[in-house]
Amino acid sequence: MDDPRLTDDEVVTSVLGGRRQDFEVLVRRYSSRIVHFVARMTGDNDEARSIAQDVFLKIFVNLPYYRRENNFSAFIFRIARNMTLNWLKRRKRTVFFSRLLGHELDRLPPSQDPPSLSPMEQGEREQALTRQLRRLPVEQRLALVLKVYLEFSYKQIADVTGWSVPKIETLISRAKARLKKGIRLQESGNEPVVEAREK
Amino acid sequence: MNCRKIVRRLSAFQDGELASSLERQIEMHLRECAACSRELAEMNRLRERLLRLPPPAADPYFPGRVMALLPGRPAAAQRLLRAAAWAALFIAVFLGGFLLKTSAGATDADGRHPAATFSSVLLEPQAFGLLAVHDDSLDLFNGGGHEQE
Ligand SMILES: [Zn+2]
Repeated sequence: MDDPRLTDDEVVTSVLGGRRQDFEVLVRRYSSRIVHFVARMTGDNDEARSIAQDVFLKIFVNLPYYRRENNFSAFIFRIARNMTLNWLKRRKRTVFFSRLLGHELDRLPPSQDPPSLSPMEQGEREQALTRQLRRLPVEQRLALVLKVYLEFSYKQIADVTGWSVPKIETLISRAKARLKKGIRLQESGNEPVVEAREK
Repeated sequence: MNCRKIVRRLSAFQDGELASSLERQIEMHLRECAACSRELAEMNRLRERLLRLPPPAADPYFPGRVMALLPGRPAAAQRLLRAAAWAALFIAVFLGGFLLKTSAGATDADGRHPAATFSSVLLEPQAFGLLAVHDDSLDLFNGGGHEQE
């Protein structure tokens, strides 16, 4: 069904021309990357799948606005970024109000897939790192996730975020410094507790 | 270049984002400076650890679920249809009012034509609000993200 010779733009043209079933080609091409992106941003795999689903519905609805300049990836990651940041803002509000009401909704651990066959200790280290990632300021996290997990160049990150390349360099550099510090603290058994409030 | 300047660009160096001349300068410095080399080694370890985090498990039903949820057609077509429907309604209302006026010339208590009154209600800003398509997709195109958590 997915003819790899067809570019994204050609598939888009086909969908807009009435072959809506061809949209599945785009979903198959990008779903694992979008889910991965959202999962790293939210730290929650189940939420990531549900947000990613909404992202694709939004992509479909906004397809007529895509300018077909061989930059489909930037187009859909802009949508994914907007929806993920909105979700994070909403969650922050929910957590705030639940605290105000004395509830502890936010104490529920975010969902992770069942651990891979790794030994217990490694699983714990992975969880700690996921936690550190989630605690990064959102702009730093966004830039780092696009760089490390999506292997975007700074220029491609600029296309998705609208930030300048120097700003992206600074954000990523700070994110790495912060994570390195967090890991050092964690390995010395002093993982910061205060920052956990940001979750 | 001194160590402070090098360390500031080390992340971009690791990401392969520097101009080749600067890259060569940093490589030369790293050969001689143990402190900066340690920084880079630590940064490389961090990247390895980040990449070792397992990605979310693949969900084979994901594409099927998305396809089952797709709305009828992409937005522009829907909007065009909606606009056409409203245009038809307006034409009907004004044409109706015009026909009424020419045939009967009936007026209401304020001396206004009933159909004209109805038309003016439709032209109230609130009524126009109904026409405004709510969609936050337009911010996709300015690309500027200033969201700060
Ligand atoms: Zn040095």
